[in-house]
Amino acid sequence: MNTILGLGFILIAGLFSARLINKIKFPSVTAYLLLGIIIGPSLFGLVSEEILSASGLISNIVLGMIAFSIGQNFSLDNFHKIGKSVIWISVLEACGAWLLVTLAFLLILKQPFYIALLFGALSSATAPAATVMIIRQYRAKGIFTDTLLGVVAIDDAWCLIIFAISLAISQAIYSHMVATFFLIRVFLNSIWNIIGAFILGSIIAILSSYFSRFIRTQAEFLIFTLGFILLSIGIAIWLHLSVLLANMFLGAFLVNIDKSSFSSFDVLKTVDSPLFLLFFVLAGANLEIGLLPRLGLIGSVYLVFRVIGKITGAGLGAHISNASKNIRKYLGLGLVPQAGVALGCALVAKSDFPNIGSMIFTTIVATTVIYELIGPICTKIALKRAGEIAID
Amino acid sequence: MSKEVITVKRSTTLRQLLEIFADFHLFPLVPVVEEDGRLVGIVSFRNLIDVFSPYRQEILKTVPFLDDQEEDIFKAELTKDIGDLVVVEDIMETKFVSLQEDTTLEEAFKLMKLHLKEEFPVTDKTGKLVGKIGIFDIIRRVFQEKGVI
Repeated sequence: MNTILGLGFILIAGLFSARLINKIKFPSVTAYLLLGIIIGPSLFGLVSEEILSASGLISNIVLGMIAFSIGQNFSLDNFHKIGKSVIWISVLEACGAWLLVTLAFLLILKQPFYIALLFGALSSATAPAATVMIIRQYRAKGIFTDTLLGVVAIDDAWCLIIFAISLAISQAIYSHMVATFFLIRVFLNSIWNIIGAFILGSIIAILSSYFSRFIRTQAEFLIFTLGFILLSIGIAIWLHLSVLLANMFLGAFLVNIDKSSFSSFDVLKTVDSPLFLLFFVLAGANLEIGLLPRLGLIGSVYLVFRVIGKITGAGLGAHISNASKNIRKYLGLGLVPQAGVALGCALVAKSDFPNIGSMIFTTIVATTVIYELIGPICTKIALKRAGEIAID
Repeated sequence: MSKEVITVKRSTTLRQLLEIFADFHLFPLVPVVEEDGRLVGIVSFRNLIDVFSPYRQEILKTVPFLDDQEEDIFKAELTKDIGDLVVVEDIMETKFVSLQEDTTLEEAFKLMKLHLKEEFPVTDKTGKLVGKIGIFDIIRRVFQEKGVI
């Protein structure tokens, strides 16, 4: 199958498989992933080598767009709106999973620190699509539901920050394993990665805000916004900075310095759907099924400790912010799904760490499929125990 | 620019909003103002549709990969008391484009094309609403300047 035919097939098959899976109340993301696994080289081999090799390019673009979009959360106005409870719970559930999975990989699986740190960072993400779908399906209503929606909405922002910091530290450890002044180098590399991304994001935001006055039509605006996002991604890669952080800072700066910047985020929605579809299908296609039997223990530890970390962290956050008893007890259970951001970050880890990348990526894809299947059930149980859904 | 603008307050209920515009064929852009006249939001027909989708919250707009499920308004179940329970503050947009009263017609027209909108609220320098400008105001003025009318 030639590349263009393959892309056409993926888009059409993705669209209809999503429709199909929506009927049994699973999010489209699950359909895209399963489709990717089925047509990928591990099973039917319907995806050409050219398309598979474009996975890195597509995931970088998609992640850049996602990070840019998530950046708009960081406005003062938004923080006032979402409230203390959501901030405490989201920060601590993300950090809880990060810490617990890192420790479990270090102490139980005896993995090197940089691998443990990467798995820990990946575990901090959640998947709002599955959670929102269950809330819609059962027409859940109340404070618990509102808090859960707020937490899943902002969680990916914390995940991107946690992953960018962990990636910088892991890269520094990995590349300076035998260097002298080891700790100093690790520290300087990590700081450069983060501060450099901050400076790059802010400069691109100022330039984008200035040049936006020359834009006349919606079509030009789309090209303009995409252009600046790609510039930010490209320069970040060129300077060895965090693509995720650079684009998140770009979005965050823009939303704070330019009152009409919300249009930049809205206009991207007109093109993101096919790119997201391709991203997930290719993520599924990159799964190396042959590796799965060897990853049983790693996958199990990841599955269990991520959930414990989320439940414990969410409970602690709810306790600190004086949230209700139901939120303290059950909110963590609503945070089990994992999908897009974790997969995207795993693809980054795969390309940055060729020796262990396949192991990380395959673990994340396999656990994502499991989480996407059991996650909605856990969310339903949480909503039911919190007394916010009436129908069974 | 039209200075006679129907405005609503944050506390205006959905029922009142629907009654105010009962005789309109198209729901216009409705400015939401504070007691002192400061413009704080807008309500458009899109926001009325959102009443049928209770989870289309503003915060979820930043979430990637959400399945965009358009609610079927003919099948959606709404309770009768929603007309009094939902107020303008729940559905209004707080991120919107507004023009200053000294904005030129060319600039206003350019912004309408850029944002794909047909009307904008107009404020003074302190943020108080002074009127509303629509695409027909601009086109009519151009016809006038060219001597057609």
